[in-house]
Parts: sequence; C-alpha cells; structure tokens
Amino acid sequence: MFLTARIIVVLLISILNLCCVRGDDSLPLHLANEFKQEVRPLIQAHCAECHDGETREAELDLSLYQSVEDVIRSYRVWETVLHRVAMGEMPPADASSQLSEEQRKVIVDLIARVRKFEAERNAGDPGAVIARRLSNAEFDYSVRDLTGADIHPTKTFPVDPANEAGFDNSGESLTMSPALMAKYLEACRVITDHMMLTPDGIAFAPYPAVTVTDRDKYCVQQIVEFYRRQPIDLADYFYASWTYRHCDLLGSPHATLDEVATQLHLSPKYLRTVWEVLVPQERFGPLAALQELWESMPTPTEPDSNSAKAARAISERMRRYVFSTRKLFSPSIQNLSIKGGSNGSQPMVLWKNKQYMKYRRVADFSFLDIDVLATQVAKSFDVPEESNLAQFKADCQRFCSVFPDAFFISERGRDYLDEKNNEGTVRLLSAGFHSMTGYFRDDQPLYDLMLDQAQQRELDSLWRQLMFVSTTPQRQYQSFLWFEKAESGFMREGKFDFVRSEDRESWTAPMIDRLAEVYLEKAIDAGSDEITLDAVRNFFIEINDQIQWVEQTKVASQPDQLDAVILFASRAYRRPLTATEAQEFRDYYHLLINRDGLSHEEAIQDTILTILMSPQFCYRVDLLCDTDKARPLNDYELASRLSFFLWSSIPDEELLSHAAVGDLHRPERLVQQVQRMLRDDRIRGFATEFTGNWLDFRRFEEHNAVDRNRFESFNDDLRKSMFEEPIRFMVDALKRDCSVLDLLYADRTFVNATLAKHYGIKDLSFVESQWVEVSDAARYGRGGLLPMAVFLTKNSPGLRTSPVKRGHWVVRRLLGERIPAPPPNVPEIPNDESQLGELTLRQTLAKHREHPSCAGCHDRIDSIGLAFEGYGPIGERREVDLGGRQVDTMAIFPDGSSRNGMDELRDYLKEQREAEFVDNVCRKLLSYALGRSLQLSDEVLLEAMRDQGRKDGFRIGTLVTTIVSSPPFLSKRGRGATANDFFEAGDTDE
Amino acid sequence: MIFLRQGIRMNRNNAKTASLLSRRLVLKGAGAVMGLPWLESLPVWGSDESEKVDSSPIPKRFGVQFMACGVNHEHWWAKGSGASMELGKCLEPMQPLRKKMNVVSGLFNQSAVGVGIHPGQTGNILSGAQLQKGSELRGGISVDQVIANAIGQQTSQPSLVLGCEQPITGYHETNFSMAYSSHISWQNATSPVPMEVYPSLAFDSLFDNRGNRRNQSVLDRVKEHAEALRRQVSADDKAKLDEYLTSVREVEKRIERARDDKKVASDRAAMPSESLVTMNRPDNGLPEDIREHMKLMCDIVAIAFQTDKTRVASLLLCRDISGLLYPFLDVSSAHHGASHNDLNDAYLRITQYYVSQFAYLASKLDSMPEKDGTVLDHSCLMFINNMWSGSKHDSTKVPLILAGCLGGALETGRVLDYGDRSDKDRKLCSLYLSILQRMGIEQTRFGDAENALELL
Repeated sequence: MFLTARIIVVLLISILNLCCVRGDDSLPLHLANEFKQEVRPLIQAHCAECHDGETREAELDLSLYQSVEDVIRSYRVWETVLHRVAMGEMPPADASSQLSEEQRKVIVDLIARVRKFEAERNAGDPGAVIARRLSNAEFDYSVRDLTGADIHPTKTFPVDPANEAGFDNSGESLTMSPALMAKYLEACRVITDHMMLTPDGIAFAPYPAVTVTDRDKYCVQQIVEFYRRQPIDLADYFYASWTYRHCDLLGSPHATLDEVATQLHLSPKYLRTVWEVLVPQERFGPLAALQELWESMPTPTEPDSNSAKAARAISERMRRYVFSTRKLFSPSIQNLSIKGGSNGSQPMVLWKNKQYMKYRRVADFSFLDIDVLATQVAKSFDVPEESNLAQFKADCQRFCSVFPDAFFISERGRDYLDEKNNEGTVRLLSAGFHSMTGYFRDDQPLYDLMLDQAQQRELDSLWRQLMFVSTTPQRQYQSFLWFEKAESGFMREGKFDFVRSEDRESWTAPMIDRLAEVYLEKAIDAGSDEITLDAVRNFFIEINDQIQWVEQTKVASQPDQLDAVILFASRAYRRPLTATEAQEFRDYYHLLINRDGLSHEEAIQDTILTILMSPQFCYRVDLLCDTDKARPLNDYELASRLSFFLWSSIPDEELLSHAAVGDLHRPERLVQQVQRMLRDDRIRGFATEFTGNWLDFRRFEEHNAVDRNRFESFNDDLRKSMFEEPIRFMVDALKRDCSVLDLLYADRTFVNATLAKHYGIKDLSFVESQWVEVSDAARYGRGGLLPMAVFLTKNSPGLRTSPVKRGHWVVRRLLGERIPAPPPNVPEIPNDESQLGELTLRQTLAKHREHPSCAGCHDRIDSIGLAFEGYGPIGERREVDLGGRQVDTMAIFPDGSSRNGMDELRDYLKEQREAEFVDNVCRKLLSYALGRSLQLSDEVLLEAMRDQGRKDGFRIGTLVTTIVSSPPFLSKRGRGATANDFFEAGDTDE
Repeated sequence: MIFLRQGIRMNRNNAKTASLLSRRLVLKGAGAVMGLPWLESLPVWGSDESEKVDSSPIPKRFGVQFMACGVNHEHWWAKGSGASMELGKCLEPMQPLRKKMNVVSGLFNQSAVGVGIHPGQTGNILSGAQLQKGSELRGGISVDQVIANAIGQQTSQPSLVLGCEQPITGYHETNFSMAYSSHISWQNATSPVPMEVYPSLAFDSLFDNRGNRRNQSVLDRVKEHAEALRRQVSADDKAKLDEYLTSVREVEKRIERARDDKKVASDRAAMPSESLVTMNRPDNGLPEDIREHMKLMCDIVAIAFQTDKTRVASLLLCRDISGLLYPFLDVSSAHHGASHNDLNDAYLRITQYYVSQFAYLASKLDSMPEKDGTVLDHSCLMFINNMWSGSKHDSTKVPLILAGCLGGALETGRVLDYGDRSDKDRKLCSLYLSILQRMGIEQTRFGDAENALELL
C-alpha cells in the first residue's frame, strides 16, 4: 500500500518544482567566460583531432560548440562527453595528446556546473510535447476500449518510428502522410463494418458483421456465453447449503444464505430455493430420498478439510441422484403432423419444443403405469400407499419444480426424427428445424429460478438483439416458405403462388395473415386435429408478431441509435461534447440522410467514421498548447494523459467520472487512480509498449532470424510464448507493485506449456493456454529478465550466440550506457558457430579485442555477453555449442573481477551497476510518461524519482506516482514556447 | 440488406489487406446509366487518351455460373473438337460457341466427397477446403475472391457476387450449416461474401460511385474539425495539424481525380459511338419470373465486364437444395426435388435451361467487340455444378464448362476428360490454380492443389 507520508513527500516535491518553473535568471557570465576561455581551448587542443567537423569520430563533432549555450542545447551529448572524460576513457590511450589530471578536472567541473545550473533553472518545465497522432498501438487499444471489440485496425499500417529514447509515443517521430491517411480511412471504414444496430443502440462485433452469418455468430455467441457464465451445478448448491447450515462451526457464525451464495459465486435466489426443500420435514418420493442424503452430511468438528471433502462428495451424490431420478418424470411427446406435410415443418417442430418447455419444471406421472420403469423407480424412491398418494405427487411436483430437467437448452438437434437420423447437437440455440433457419429460446427455469432482475433484463435484451440484429424472424419465415413449397411440397399448389420466399413483400402483416388462412384451410381439409390446427394458428401469430416487432423497432430505435453515437463520440473525444458539437453530429447525420440519400444505418456508419477519423479522436488533443503561458492540465486532459501513459489507450468511465467531478488532479485521488490503473488488466498496454520498446522485443513476433530446420522446436507458438514471457512478468510486477530491481534479480518467471517444455520445466501442469508462475526459476536457470529466451534469441544471429549483442543489450538497454556504433570496417564473424574453425567464439572475440580501438567498447560488452554462453541461440540451456565445443561462461568483467555465468553476472550488476540500472529505468520511464525526449531540466525530477524510490526499494508504483505528481506531467507549455532544439549525436538503435 | 463488396484496395496480393477491406455495400442510385467499353472508360491517371489505348493491356476477367444438384448426366457429354465437336443434349445450347469453349469432365474436390450430402458438397466448390460442421462456419477463401484480392483494386468493384436465390442458414441433417449450401464465394475461412440478389442494387453498386462520395463527405467533415483545433494552438501543434490537413486534402484529391475520370467517361458516353453500351437500371424489387431474374443478372455481369467495373463475378443461379420452380419448363416439383429423378426428361429440360444461361452470358460477351477480338476472348467463364448426379448425390466428379480463351492464355475448342486419372491429377483446385496463373497471378498453390492442371 502507498503510505500517506509518501504522498505528502511526493506532494512537497511537486510544489517545490512548481515554484521554480521557468525561472528567468539568466546564465551567469562567469560560466560563459570559463567555457570560452578555459574549456574550449582544451577541447580544441585535445579532442579536435578526432572529433572535428571532418573526422567526426563516433559521429561527434565538438567544433560545433562555440558557447556554453550550445552546450546546454545539446546537453545529452555533453553528458556523454562528461562521462567519458571523467572516466579517463577519453582521449583514448593511443591518442597523441593527453589531458593532465588538472585539465581533466577543469572540463568536468565546468560542464557539471553548467548542467546543474541549467537543470535547476528550468526545473518543472513541461517541455515541448507536441499534440501528435495516436501511435498504431494506441490506436488499436483505443479502438478496442471504445468499441469493446479487439479489431486491430492498424494491422497493415507501416511500423511507427521511435524517438531517440526508443519509444513510438512522441510527436518527435509520429507523423501523418497522405498514404497513411488513406489507410486510416480504409481501416476506420472497416471498423464501421463491425458495427451493428441493436434495439437499444449500437454494438461492435470482433469481426466484420456484414453477412447474416456473421451477425448470427455474434448474437448467438453472446447468449451462449451468458448461459455458460451461470452457476448451474446443483452440487455447488447442496454444498453451499451445508456451508450455511454449519456456518458457525466453519468460522463465519452470522453468515446469511445470500452471503454464502455470493461468496461461492452462486445464485442467491436459487440457493434460497434449494435450502427450503432441504429443511427437514416429512416428505415423500425423491425429496425424502434426497433429504436422507442431506442428513448424512457430516457435522464439521472444527474447520477441517476432511468434513468439507466428505460434504463435497455427498453433494455430488445428491446431484447424481437428482439427475437420474429427474429423468423418470419426463414425458414422452409425439410428433404432430399434417397429411401431405412434413413433421419437420416449423409449426410442428415449434409445438413439440414448447411441450418440452412446459414440462421443464412439471412432473409427468406416466411412469406409474409403466412396468419397465417400475424397477428404476424402486431403486430411486418409494411410492407410498394410496392414502399418501396425493402428498407424494405434490412432493414430486415440488421436486421437479425445484430441480428442472434443464435450466436452459443451448443446443438442439432435430427432435422430430428418431435418434439415428439426428446427428449432432452442436447447433447452438437452434430450433431444430430441417435445414431451415430458426432459433428457439428455452431458458425459463434459469430465468425464473436463478436470475435476478438485472440478469433477466440482460438475457431478454440479448434475445431481442438476436432477433433484431440478425432479423431471425424474417429469415425463419423466409425459409418456412421455401421449405413448404420446395421441400415438403405442402404449399406447391397454385393457391400458394402469391408468396415467394425471395420477396420481402411476403412478410408484411397482411400477407402473413393471408397465408395463415390458406394454409389453415388446407390443414383442415387434410383432416388435422385441433391440437395441430392450434399449432399452426399459433405459429403464424407468433412469427407475425416477431417480424412486426423487428420491423417496427427498426424505425422506433433510430433515435436511440443516434444517441448512442453521440455517447460514442464523447468516449472517443475523452470528454463531454459541447452542446454545439453534439448538435453538429446530429445535423451531420440528418444531412447524410436528406442531402446524400443515405439510409439510417449508412448515416450512422458515416457519422461514426467522422468520429474515428477526427483529430479529436486519433490525435492527442489533450496535449495541445492552447494558452499563452504554461498551465496545469485540466482534469479531462489529465485523464487522457494518465490513460495513454499506463494503458496506451483512452480513459475509462471511472477516470472520466473523476474528471467530471473535478477531483482527479487532487493528490490523493491521483494516487488512488494510479494504483487502480496499475492493477487493471489494461496495464498490459504499458507492459507491452513500454517494456517492449525499452528492451527491444516489441517486434519479436515477426522475428525470423532463427533457422527452423536446425531448431525444430522453434515454431510460431514458441516465438509467441517467448514474446509473452516478459509481458506476463511485467504485468505481474506492475499489479503487485514490485521493485524494478526484480527485473534483474527475481527468482521467478512465467511460462505456458510451450515455454515450460523449452525451459525443461517438467513438474507443472497446464490447462490449455494457461500461464503459470514459476517461483523457483533458478532451478531451471531462469528468473527475471536476463535469462528470458526472447532476449537471448533476439540477440543471436541465427546459428550461433552473440556475446557481443547480448552484452550490448545488457549494457545499453538495461544499464543505459551509450556505446558508439562500431566503425564500418570490422571483420564479420561467421553466423554459424560450427563454422568458426579452430577458435571458439570466445577466442575469436578475444582476438578482436586485441585491437585497442575495439577494446575501448568491447571490454565493456563482451564479458557480460559471455556470461550468457550457457544459453544457445534460441535461449535453450546448453553444455556444448553447435560446433560441439564445451561452453565456457567465465569472463573478466569491466571491474577486473573474474566471474562465471548468470548468477555471478547478477552479483556483478548488484555490486557495481545497480545505480546505473535504476537511473536508466527512471529515465526511460519518464521519457515514456512524458512522450518526449528528456531535457536537462528533467534532472531534478529524475533525482526525486531516485530519492523516492530508494525509500521503498524502487517500487514501480512509487516511480510512476512520482512522475504523475510532477509539474512536467501535470502541466503543459504555453503556445509561445518553442521546442528546445535538441541536437544529438548518433544514437541509433541497431 | 447488405450485399456487395466495396472498398479501396491499396495493396495487391496481400491477404492481410484483403481481410481488412470494407465489405459494406454501397447502393442506390441513378436511372439509366451508360457505360463505356473498357478501352475508352478506363483512363490511366495522368496519362492522355492516346497513351491510354496503347499502354493498357486488355484486362482478363473471370466469371462463374453455378447450378446445383447435378445434371442429367446421361446427356452430358461432348466429343471431337472445335467446329466439329459433338454435344450431348444437355450441352446443345452451347452449339454456336463450340470453338470458344472447353468441356472439362472428371474433376472433383476431395474434401466434398464422403462428408455427407449437399452443404458439404457445395460450400467448398470454389475453394477445395474442408468444411466444419456445427455452429461455427469454417472453410476457405474461394478462387474468385483470391483473384479479386489480387486484381480487384484496379476496378471500381473488386468483384461482383450475385445470386438468384436467397441464402438459407439453418442446419442440414448432416449437421453442416445451410450457409454452405447458399454461398459459393467466400471472403475468408469464416465468412461468405454477401450476395446480391436484387438486380437493381447490383446495378447501382457498379454505376453510382457512392463509396467515393461518402468518403469525400467524411473527409470534408474531419477537415473542419482539424481547422477548428488549429486556430488556438502553438506553432508546433499547428505544424502537426497541418500535416493532418494536408494528408486529408491529398486523399480528397485522389478521390476527386477518380470521380473526374468517371465524369469524362460519362461525357463521352453521351456521344454516339459504335461501341456504346447501354443498360437501363432494373426495377426495384425482385423480378417475378426467374427467367427475367437470371437474364438481368447475366446482363449486369456482361456490362460490368465490358465497362471494366469489375473483372471478377460469381453468379449463383440457384443454391444447393434449391427451391426454384420451373412452371415454364412444365416441371411441377421444385429444383431439389426434381434432381432426385435426374435421368428423366424434366431434369434434362432443367439442365438445358441452365446451360442456356451460360450460353446467353458467353454469347453476350462474344458480341462485345474489344480490340481485335471480343470481351469473351479476354475472359474465362466457368459453368460448374456441385454434383454429377443429384439422385445419387454424387460429387466424385462434377460437370464443368469453360468459355473464352483468356486473351490467348487458354486454348479452346476442346473436350478434356480427366475421369480416368488418379485423384491427385483431377483436382478442381488444380484447374483453379491454372486459371490464377493464366490471369497473371503468381501463386504456386491453391486449396488442396500444388500443381496446375495438366493438358489444360
């Protein structure tokens, strides 16, 4: 938990920082003079040989810096200069002129003072954050959160370029072009293809919902998923009843039935019903038998697991008893048919479905007359004497009423056929017709016994949605016409010619009535009985009602759908619309209909298209500098800034509601929301985008450098699993507010079945695609980021490992060290380690380091990379390399120590490099949070992050909170200020 | 109701792009529309007239007509070649086109055999894919849509997918969805292409350019949004919004250019010319008579091909387990029922009637001059049925006719019988692969075939 004290400290810093925003005391003259008179001559004398405009060694030209202002402008370059000179690495050992210690101090000292002065002078400057378009990732996540459907509209967009900090979330790198605009138009048009008009508004399917089959799939799936969510396992209810009965002994003496139900995720309503029939009283038949079982449940002596186990076992026996006994009360229902028609015809099938429905909670006693069943009955319960028969029957009815033969039917075969002709029942919600379209709702027991009012409304509305979105009644009727004419032949005569299944006119109310008449006439002529005729009458009445409901609702729901679009717009805009804006959308919709002749649905689509294409949605307009002076963000802008930082997406309802109340900027609210956001599943956006770009694995799912013939286990599944591992790790670390040091030192990781196999982890079991935590990962040579297969594979050039790339990745990505690019004339090492000849890879690298100009960098890289040699080119653990040579993980580290393998690499990082790692994490995090490259004035905030972090071991939440509470995050520049001209030496990602 | 495909295509041969394209329809519109034949109506952007004619190769088209439930196979035969080819009674309507067609026998889809009758024999007729039973639709992309994905972006409509009978989506007794019986063109493994049944709407989708107008209106609108935002902000922000505005204007210009091109074509259509094609917009609603319905649909395919509005068309004349009735052929039972007596005279008349639809479309295209040949000469039309025998539900081979020589890429006037070959050498997908390749689409496999069809 975050402590109040911490909040206050954070607050204090914020206030302090705010005080010194844009101080206007100018640069003291003495700094300028010292630079000109002392430092610059030294640089010209000792550095210009290599770093002048001509040679530009390491792409650095120091002759450009004439004044101290130039130095300030390019402070990042000078940070490196400072570092290298202070460390004595520059000028290099083989340079012709060397600095004396005194001279070195002069340079280092002045630059440091300039930096400090400049940083403090501008502390709290929000910096130049340009209102830019959403990145592809942000666009995808935003569309997902806006529509509720994971559509990935940017699938075919070009990859977004990154800024110098390595992130693709800043105006520095995100641009718009006509080609991209055309793709936006196309992609947003596709998003509108996912839209469906519903009776209450609009909805989006995860796939284009253009054909009726797509729409069926969506609507049916929603209903079926609703059913599947319902807790209908009877054993759970018996067990819950036992828990309630003994709640005092089980440690919660005052629990109510409802509380027990809620705790066990059961329906309170149904638990009450079940409890009532279990309460002991004299019963007959199955209820008596059930009560006997119930009474045999143990009384817990203390809260131990044995009695719970026994109770669970008996609960399951009770369920089995109900299932087997309940079948005895099921009726046998015959088919109806009309002479000259088919018993698969719609009125006949629907009639039969309804008969079953009638008996879901009603007992049929025909078994009393049937001998065959008698033995089965005898096994299940006693049939009493005549005198008690009425009571017996009443109890049987009660039994059947409480325990329906089914709570709902989600799949139906063709019941009018005998079993051998009735293949398969995976026809979701099907009415069970022959070849014809048709759904049938049969969930009354669930509805009455289990659902509360809100759930009942939801289920009703899902069924209405199916009818409306997919026009199922019309289609059912259409296929009825086809079937009766072409297949059963019942309607083949000329008197039926006035209806055609293709013709929309056929399903107008008068036409249906007319057909009902003619059809019924023929049914009467065929000598049908009254039940059959009633079935026919009811069929026409019901289908007519349903069709007319859909047709009328199509018109009646139009205003609701337009309202839904306005609501959609405000979610997309991340703020309430102004009255004018809302009116403009309405006007535009009407213009499309009246001027352009679009249909209602088309006009809704195109209005949505303008919302998605509008810069108000696809740009970060919350960042626009729209006042003369710097100002604090308003609460809506803050909501956007928070959600794009932590979720890479638009703010949710809760953030917006706090913005509406106006308390989001208040420190305790802000901290509370940040905590909530870190625990939310959408934090995956941060885990993927921040970590993925920082650690350079964001595009790993497209990584194709592995030779799949040599590494047969490397398939798309393994690649995806490798990609997923650090994301799972990060999501977990974020949700639990772990220390950033865990990234290096943790003894845990996350695997699925595929990755477990790759890692040789055998003692875990998985359900399908499940991921599980491995808490003692060191046993398998894993734990934390360092030995994750994704990094080891990404940094291997195919058929060998690359200690250079792996070492460079650690030094550069994790520790933030700036290593210049290698000179162009470096000899290549073969990409297959079996082709290295006599030398091992280690020896080859050692040879390379013999050259002093190579050694400067490689001494800092190679040893760290060699510590990973116990992992092969796809991150697998190994003893020998592909050339059959024993691997050697020993190396001399930059501090002169000799260390071995992964564990000692961790020791080294802990002892020697931890501060660098923390500093780098803070820098990356801040740059990502602000959506810009860092500037000198950020040093003050970085220091605050480090200070705050140190207090609780560098918890991620603390670092995030410190950023979020700081002036650069909470405010933005005025329109007068221009961006600092950051002039940078080459720092390109490989 | 939603039917035709519509969308801007930017990236050819890119399956990902294809799956992203808008499938929404753009309908409604004008009265009589005149179209220009391909040569005159297809300006190349930025080029002038004379260049156009010389530089654009004549497009190749692919069209399918589908009939279901088999043919009267006793009378479905052909022998000889070219002008001296002899035709069985079923094929008689093709008599005048003998030199321009191939009768291909003995081909089949392995995945349509042994899976149960009807839907399982139909939904994969153009894809060769295994179909999945039960609630979830799963098959494969059909050959016409592969072609549309590859070349469709060059025309205003990537493909025309038409039908003369509405789809049905219940369950067949084999537990396959009836959607498989109702659709031959599949956009991807899980979705059929929405099929247009109304001639008037199919016509509008070709000629009224509605999609562009809608996009333009949207762009105008968002431009206003950006301009409003731009007024208040810093120079850097202005620059970003200007980038947005410039991009919007540029896309608008492209759309305008496309519209101008169309206008030029329309203006010139007003001038009398020998090659002028006209067709009146069909009436709203569904034609009462199936003969009129089929003829209109054929006319629309023909005019679409000639004016190069699209180069790909599929026309489902009837669906599988069809309920179409043929009082004018003196047949009392509906199509499906009639097919259970496929060797009698009634079903011969039905088969002949369907073949005459194919003959009608082929002849119509053959009457449209194009460069030194006809539109038919630059097309490949295919007539296909899902079964050889409807009474036996036999799909171990299917009746198939090809017409048109695809600009010389396909030799015609032949009778090809693959019936005696081994199963791997008589795959329908091999034929489709051959057609893909001869249309200039580089693909080395399609459906279950890795080789093109031999001898074709």
